[in-house]
Amino acid sequence: MADKQQELPKDAFEPLSDGSHLDNEKIAAPSLTFLRDSWRRLKKNKAAMISLIILILLFVVAFGSALIPSMNNVSTNPNLNNLPPRIPGIDIPGFNGTLVQGGQRVNAYTGAAANHYFWFGSDYLGRDLLARTLYGTRISLIIAVVATFFDLTIGVAYGIISGWKGGKVDTVMQRIIEIMLSIPNLVVMILLLLILHPGIPAIIIAIAFTSWINMARLVRAQTLELKNQEFVLAARSLGESSVKIAFKHLLPNLTSVIIINTMFTIPSAIFFEAFLSFIGIGVPAPAASLGTLISNGQKSFQFLPYQMWVPAVVLSVLMIAFNILGDGLRDAFDPKSRE
Amino acid sequence: MVRYLAKRIFYLILTLFIVTTVTFFLMKIMPGTPLTNEAKLSPSERNMVLQQYGLNKPVWQQYISYIANAVHGNFGTSFQFSDQQVSYLISSRVGPSLLLGLQAIIVGVLAGIVVGSLGAIKKGTWVDTTTTIVSILGISIPSFVLSILLQYFVALKWGWLPIAGWSGFAYTILPTLALAAMPFAESARFVRTEMVDVLSADYIELARAKGLSKFGIIYHHALRNSLIPLVTIVGPLAVNIMTGSLVVENIFAIPGIGEQFVNSVVTNDYPTIMGLTIMYCFMLCVVLLITDIIYGLIDPRIRITGKRG
Amino acid sequence: MKLKSMLEVGAVGAASAFLLAACGNNSGKESSSKLVQWQQSANLTTLDASKATDNTAFGTLNNSNEGLLMSGENNTVKPGVAESYKVSKDGKTYTFNLRHSKWSNGKPVTAKDFVYGWQRTVNPKTASQYSYLFDHVKNATEIGKNKAPLSSLGVKADGDYKLVVSLTKPQTYFKYLVAMAPFYPQSESVVNKYGGSYGTNSNNMIYNGPFKVTGWTGTNDSWKLVKNNDYWNAKNIKFDGVKFNVQKDPNTALNQYQTGGLDVDTLTGKQQVNEFKNSKELHSAKGATTFYIEMNEKSNPVFKNANIRKAISLAIDRKQFTQDVLGDGSTPAVGYVAPGMSKRDGKDFTDDAGTKEGVSYNLAEAKKLWAKGLKETGKKSVNVSMLSDDTPAGKNTTEFLQTALEKLPNLKVTAQNIPFKSRLSRSQNGQFDMVVSAWGADFPDPISFLSLFTSDNAYNNGKWKNEEYDALVQNAEGKDANNAGKRWDDLVKAEKVLMSDQGIIPIYHQVTPRVIKPRVQGIQFFPTGSPYNLRDITLSNK
Repeated sequence: MADKQQELPKDAFEPLSDGSHLDNEKIAAPSLTFLRDSWRRLKKNKAAMISLIILILLFVVAFGSALIPSMNNVSTNPNLNNLPPRIPGIDIPGFNGTLVQGGQRVNAYTGAAANHYFWFGSDYLGRDLLARTLYGTRISLIIAVVATFFDLTIGVAYGIISGWKGGKVDTVMQRIIEIMLSIPNLVVMILLLLILHPGIPAIIIAIAFTSWINMARLVRAQTLELKNQEFVLAARSLGESSVKIAFKHLLPNLTSVIIINTMFTIPSAIFFEAFLSFIGIGVPAPAASLGTLISNGQKSFQFLPYQMWVPAVVLSVLMIAFNILGDGLRDAFDPKSRE
Repeated sequence: MVRYLAKRIFYLILTLFIVTTVTFFLMKIMPGTPLTNEAKLSPSERNMVLQQYGLNKPVWQQYISYIANAVHGNFGTSFQFSDQQVSYLISSRVGPSLLLGLQAIIVGVLAGIVVGSLGAIKKGTWVDTTTTIVSILGISIPSFVLSILLQYFVALKWGWLPIAGWSGFAYTILPTLALAAMPFAESARFVRTEMVDVLSADYIELARAKGLSKFGIIYHHALRNSLIPLVTIVGPLAVNIMTGSLVVENIFAIPGIGEQFVNSVVTNDYPTIMGLTIMYCFMLCVVLLITDIIYGLIDPRIRITGKRG
Repeated sequence: MKLKSMLEVGAVGAASAFLLAACGNNSGKESSSKLVQWQQSANLTTLDASKATDNTAFGTLNNSNEGLLMSGENNTVKPGVAESYKVSKDGKTYTFNLRHSKWSNGKPVTAKDFVYGWQRTVNPKTASQYSYLFDHVKNATEIGKNKAPLSSLGVKADGDYKLVVSLTKPQTYFKYLVAMAPFYPQSESVVNKYGGSYGTNSNNMIYNGPFKVTGWTGTNDSWKLVKNNDYWNAKNIKFDGVKFNVQKDPNTALNQYQTGGLDVDTLTGKQQVNEFKNSKELHSAKGATTFYIEMNEKSNPVFKNANIRKAISLAIDRKQFTQDVLGDGSTPAVGYVAPGMSKRDGKDFTDDAGTKEGVSYNLAEAKKLWAKGLKETGKKSVNVSMLSDDTPAGKNTTEFLQTALEKLPNLKVTAQNIPFKSRLSRSQNGQFDMVVSAWGADFPDPISFLSLFTSDNAYNNGKWKNEEYDALVQNAEGKDANNAGKRWDDLVKAEKVLMSDQGIIPIYHQVTPRVIKPRVQGIQFFPTGSPYNLRDITLSNK
């Protein structure tokens, strides 16, 4: 190709004006942190969002009701006991204060009870089942959340130490975990409850004592992976202390693992608590949890089905919501599912 | 392999030893003796009872003899059943529990595989949504609620199956279903996730490109590869079933060990509690060991060596 | 003998045994089984008469074996293996004439079997927990302490068919004792043959009663009583037998009853009973059992004040509790000694000893006494824990009492519900402030109740002490023992002292509601001792 100097017209080039060219590579969308990005993806998941809203509602109602005196009354009132649900203005069998006794539907609200309305009915000692269920939900949630908090603290610390230190420390710590894993959780819990004074703290300890292992294993695996990545190496060569690395570099990167696992730990804690209460070694009377309410309701399920349905439905809704939200979070945090 | 096995068995024994020791001393802290009305006995009679149970010796001697006996499968005498060996008590009641557990695992996992693969194949359709909902329900409804509902509706209201008891296959159906809910839901979720991954793998694309039938692809390639990791969760599921049976056995009046465990707790039958704890632990260890071995055998990518990460 | 748990259902029966009338029934199918299908809420733990401690075992033993006498209707005794018996004038020597009867292995039942059985129960090596029932038999207490040889026990065989018993002091209720399991005959050769496994399953045992136990492996959940053709009165046993099924979940049990799987089921709780309120299948069996609160005067000296104790008692509305909360037919306490158990001149003990004091409800009066008591003890407020069983009834009780008692100003009650055996051991070790205890009489005599609260009795957990009471009980057992009238008066007075000083707070007398299918008739329930007699059952299959 013959190269001939070509004359370019003078106006072939235009001088760049201001610094606007720099905008060409600007990312138009606001920059997203990992959490914000996950949140954006979670919002797209309808089921998970509904679950989240349900959970928030349940928390608010369960804990908010503690402030309303009439909802907080656990004193017994035996002459108003075992009344079926009755909601003013609603006349559907099941919610109009009637129940089937000896094959006939009769109005249970007679005598002293005539002017009462128990929306969810009353229990065997005449306590409002709505109030009791809210109270029970509260206790169940407290137990689950506190137990999960302990489980989180122990599990994360254990996992980070084990993964970070490596070597002999890791081996010993892993052996301990293996041994713990070979004892069925429920058996450990029952043994612990036998020894500790029965009560809410005992149940929390028993649940936390057994459920941290899973968290520890996940955190350890993640830590092992992170440990050899450049940013940690960099921090190390810059002379950061191990504690600082753990808090500043490891923890933020472990968030997703921790959050997802927490979402699955809470329902399993709720479930274990209910289980222990159901077999009669859980929350002591007159305190109640969803488990004790179900257990009490089960005794007269044939005749007063609402006494079991109400707490059982609340328990199941809680479990379902936590599980769906957990699933949603896992998808949202999973980089593979990023679009 | 031999070295690996030896090592695992060593840990199994170590675990059992630690569990036995811990349980033994925990039980020693607990108040209560085999005596129901201690107060009315003369001191010599009381001593005699304690002597029969070996409770009059110092604790460390009791411990040594307990361990020595436990090695021979002797876990002492029950406090609740007079003159009855704990080992006999357990062995005579373990059958129904194992049978139920086995049935529940088989039914649950098989149903889980079918439902999970359906969900994965029809990903994003109503089939997927339905199967997901069903498996979420399975995890979320506690086994005791499920047992009560099954008993009330299927057995009492509709009269299809016996209410409770243990005299034939029909009696095992409801408790099996109640126990199977959890493994069903867990494995359905697990299989779905695995299968979705596998279905997008290159070799499936290749198989499809070669023109294999859809069924052939799923059966020969996808299913096999999604099922291998399932083995790892069967162990934990077995545990769920074992402990879940505590209540299910009670509700369905099954003469098993779960029911016995709750009963021993309520009656302070410490030797039985100890024996059952050790046995539960043993069963769990063995199940974990077996699943690890099976996993190694069926997945050629994993080689079992003496080293574990 | 019987410390009762609220869970325990069994040894409670009607004051007089009742015959079940044939009637039109309103619910459910009936079984076509040739055996009476009977629900038990606890496992059978032993068949060894010396070692039995619970109602399930006593119920099975009482119908598979027979003592010298057996429990009869209206708190009487009927001839058992003994055709007749004589009591000496001083009330200290009993002579029993035995009939010719056989064990289920064909060997004759002789006086030697009784001597052996009694010696075995008393022998400290056997470690029977009920050997104290023999305390009036000569040398029994000494043998228990290893201070006398076994052969010195005051029971001798005079030939094969005559048994002579020497007591250290008169015991008018001895006739009831010999109907109980620890007094049953035992065959020495059989005990020796099976050694340590004697009575641990239905094969390692022989029977001299109307039924033989079969199908009990020692740990399983069902066992049968089948007709024993070697029984001396076998021709009057008109049905094939009973099958006991352990069903711990009351709902499951009722479901089975309604679908015809069970013929006899014990109901639990108000709702179950309500469902059968108008049914002829419901049979409420009154038991000689009282539930009461003990207050620990050692751990909590505020309970030493009688006004405090009375205030607590007055704050409890027993009628509301039994009707609205328990709702199983249990009756408000009329005193400590249960009614319907012992009579004199046609009048029940509780009629003679009845006081409104100690068992009535008056909240205003309670508050008054409470304030007075607080002033006297110099306390501003009282914090106590209340111990009870972790059974449904136990939880109901503490929950109800908590609300009731906290109506007294500045009283705070914390509830603790624990397993039956833990409750017992904590009661006996004084680790409680208040405990809801229960006592079921062994034999139909008020002493079975009243002996508990003498100041040195091991079951006096609250350590209430009253010298007048001690003296009265001692007289009834000692100098007035052979004088029925004086003895009765002593006991009546003792009950009054206990109630007016509120040594304990009685709450209710237990009633066990059962449903029984119409095809089963003739079950007798007893309030004391053996829980039931199955000898007169008739079974019709439609």
